[in-house]
Amino acid sequence: MIKKLLAIFTALILFGCTEQTSTLFVGEAEGSVTNYENDTHGTYASTYVPLPSENTVIRNATVFDGDGNKFINYDIYFSDGKISAMGRDLVVESAKEIDGTGKYVTPGIIDNHSHMGVYPAPGVRTSSDGNEATSPNTAEVWAEHSVWSQDPQYKLALAGGITTFHVLPGSANLFGGRGVTLKNVSGNTVPDMKFPDVPHSLKMACGENPKRVYSSRGPSTRMGNVAGYRNAWIGAENHRDRLEKDPSHRDIKNETLVGVLDGEILVHNHCYRADEMATMINISQEFGYKVSTFHHGVEAYKIANLLADEGICAALWADWWGFKHEAYDMTIANIAIVDQARGGTGCAIVHSDSASGIQRLNQEAAKALAAGREAGFDISEERAMTWITKNPAKSLGILEKTGTLENGKDADIVIWSGNPFSVYSKAEQVYIDGALAFDKATNFMPHTDFDLGVKEWEGK
Amino acid sequence: MKILRLLLLLPFLVLADGDDLYLLKGAKVFIADEGFVAKDILVDDGKIILVDDFIENIETGDVIDVQGKFITPGLLVFSSLGLLEIGALPETNDTGSDIYNAGFDPSRAYNPFSQAVRLNRSKGVTSTVNIPGASGYFSGMLTYTKINGGMKQKKQGPLGLVTSYGQSYNDSRAANLMYMEDLFSYVRTNHDDNYADMTQFMLGTTNEYKFTSRDFKAIKKVLDNEMPLVVKVNKATDILNVIKFAEAQEVDLILWEANEGHMVANEIAQAGVPVILDPLNNIPSTFDSLNATYENVTRLNDAGVVMAFYYEQGAGAHNAYLATQSAGNSVAMGLDYNEAISSITSNPADIFGLINVGYILPGYDADLVVWDNDPLELMSSVEMVMIDGEKQDLSNRYKELTDRYTKELDKPNSYRSRE
Repeated sequence: MIKKLLAIFTALILFGCTEQTSTLFVGEAEGSVTNYENDTHGTYASTYVPLPSENTVIRNATVFDGDGNKFINYDIYFSDGKISAMGRDLVVESAKEIDGTGKYVTPGIIDNHSHMGVYPAPGVRTSSDGNEATSPNTAEVWAEHSVWSQDPQYKLALAGGITTFHVLPGSANLFGGRGVTLKNVSGNTVPDMKFPDVPHSLKMACGENPKRVYSSRGPSTRMGNVAGYRNAWIGAENHRDRLEKDPSHRDIKNETLVGVLDGEILVHNHCYRADEMATMINISQEFGYKVSTFHHGVEAYKIANLLADEGICAALWADWWGFKHEAYDMTIANIAIVDQARGGTGCAIVHSDSASGIQRLNQEAAKALAAGREAGFDISEERAMTWITKNPAKSLGILEKTGTLENGKDADIVIWSGNPFSVYSKAEQVYIDGALAFDKATNFMPHTDFDLGVKEWEGK
Repeated sequence: MKILRLLLLLPFLVLADGDDLYLLKGAKVFIADEGFVAKDILVDDGKIILVDDFIENIETGDVIDVQGKFITPGLLVFSSLGLLEIGALPETNDTGSDIYNAGFDPSRAYNPFSQAVRLNRSKGVTSTVNIPGASGYFSGMLTYTKINGGMKQKKQGPLGLVTSYGQSYNDSRAANLMYMEDLFSYVRTNHDDNYADMTQFMLGTTNEYKFTSRDFKAIKKVLDNEMPLVVKVNKATDILNVIKFAEAQEVDLILWEANEGHMVANEIAQAGVPVILDPLNNIPSTFDSLNATYENVTRLNDAGVVMAFYYEQGAGAHNAYLATQSAGNSVAMGLDYNEAISSITSNPADIFGLINVGYILPGYDADLVVWDNDPLELMSSVEMVMIDGEKQDLSNRYKELTDRYTKELDKPNSYRSRE
């Protein structure tokens, strides 16, 4: 049994990784004829409607704005689902008043690497839908078409302050397929949960996983992996050329890849080793696309300056290591070193890749912060807060909508019982688009259909 | 001489020389059932010999100023430390066996030079109870190992025989219970001499489990109450069945994991069965754990169940020291703070009847950790680790990698200092 569980866990971490795509502007003027506009705004568009909200002001709290600032005794006012004002002693009319004295307020926490929904709980074979491990290139599959909208794990993440998460296909393939960014809200359909008007993503994977999964048919080596990426991009270029003569031609695998080449779909690349990340950057230069984010990046600290120079984010664990050879050179200072590269211009992200870890991203950030200080970096808590708010938002192409507390942004807000970098602090209330989604005091939270009839002991 | 005055105060102590003599002065010391209290600690020859409100300075030996610091017993973790270097490389993994199951003692493969051992020691872990991973009906035996560096380790054990009960891809859980009954009855009614002849229990059936003489002997130890049966089980009804089974067989029982333990907390308490668990297991990850919840620890504690904690999230095998994070979260869930610390120090020692470890008391092994702050807080750090009265090297590979990539950056990385 222990072995069995270990195997399940290993399978999850061995195969967990994907990329996202972004919105493609397929205006006729640009001559692009891929289907991206329809992908994001047409048939598969978000149908998310926020929960009813009331205008609310939180008074006298300590605020981490997610943009690197900390404000004491601050008020934050949100109305019609948007942040409307921040400051001291705000004067607002007819708003629900919340006393934030002694509390901390942060933006909603964002996890840019989750497999909730595609590896839902309970983890049974029949709903293990995260890896289309049938070919090294499955750029044609979309994680949103695997997501189970009744996964009971979402609300557990919500209790940890998660308001947005990015679901990726797994990392069995060189090209795992498209990822999807979801608001942490319940919905009977996946489009009901989709973050509206945000980029799609593409998951790519380096290293051990693809070469192990395809060892018999290839790729079976890292150089085989690289040939696989390059051949696929050449195929995408050919597809793009063909579209000029034959605009109605459909090829959903290449539509994803061309979306990347056109700069509409964001590349999220599972990659552990520093030398492999550098190779992936070379490939992106050969074909003229940009890597949004390297995921897992246990060796990112070794090329922190390169990542900063290239404007590539690194989504990392605080301290996971040792489960694979490519995850051996761990340092808990990884996140801090990436953050502090080139005068603090690095883009460091704490990600989970775990339905347990996603519930405590604030705690993971705390451990990474402590290790960074131990390594001699002068990093503030307000700076570390960007690792789980602003930076993942940037990585997902949603920073103009959420990720920091700024006027006009979605009112995705967490009220914490105390300093979120303490193990003893809990998310007390979570707001998504200004609507109360979780309230610890009243046990208010969404319950999926799967939860019905299960927790009959609750409240006894 | 001050040392003489000390001897006069403590006529029962024999301080042979100052070589292994340490006085830790001024810290807040974790005393089970009391919590952190201001105490001085005198250590000699590997043992704690005095814990008192004030101990006069000594002349020989070292006086260590730990004013304002926190001292706990060394953390006792449940882990694969020393048995597993890289998870996905079977050649570096000595946790399992296909040959043996019940009689399998993985601690014989212990590697004191594992990087995971170094890391965990530098983070306050002084000992581990291994998690066996044999593939048969039983996964093996538990052994307690101190993780000081060097070729020799102090061990205690075997401490228990591990199996799991619950959902199965093959047989009904009812059949698995019957199987265990028949197996125990077979071992009970046969003599040691016969075991060698029976390489397979239930020969001729479709049962796949093989037992060697060594395996039968280990099971016999459980039947003779020389060590407990340790069962990994989650579903509430399964927990009750396992308790009933252990009572009928008159064997000692420890529950492991017990995600739905809170639903039968009173029954577990009444049976006097301790539970080893990760308080962070709140996901209904299987149909046996549909009622997993953060409330497991508080509800078990309220019923009076004795618990020990481990950390299994993420790379748990390598980051066993994060039992502190599990314990810290259990406090956030409502568990008493002192109970949380005890659950990663003295409780596991009590549960397994370990000798002279887990407490800061005279006569106990000097396995001590000095923390700069609350040991359960995420940003606290370890300043000193002592195992059997010896100060441990707190270097580890992650700090060495950190230094390599943050210092002497004018040199190529492979020519920077190794420290």
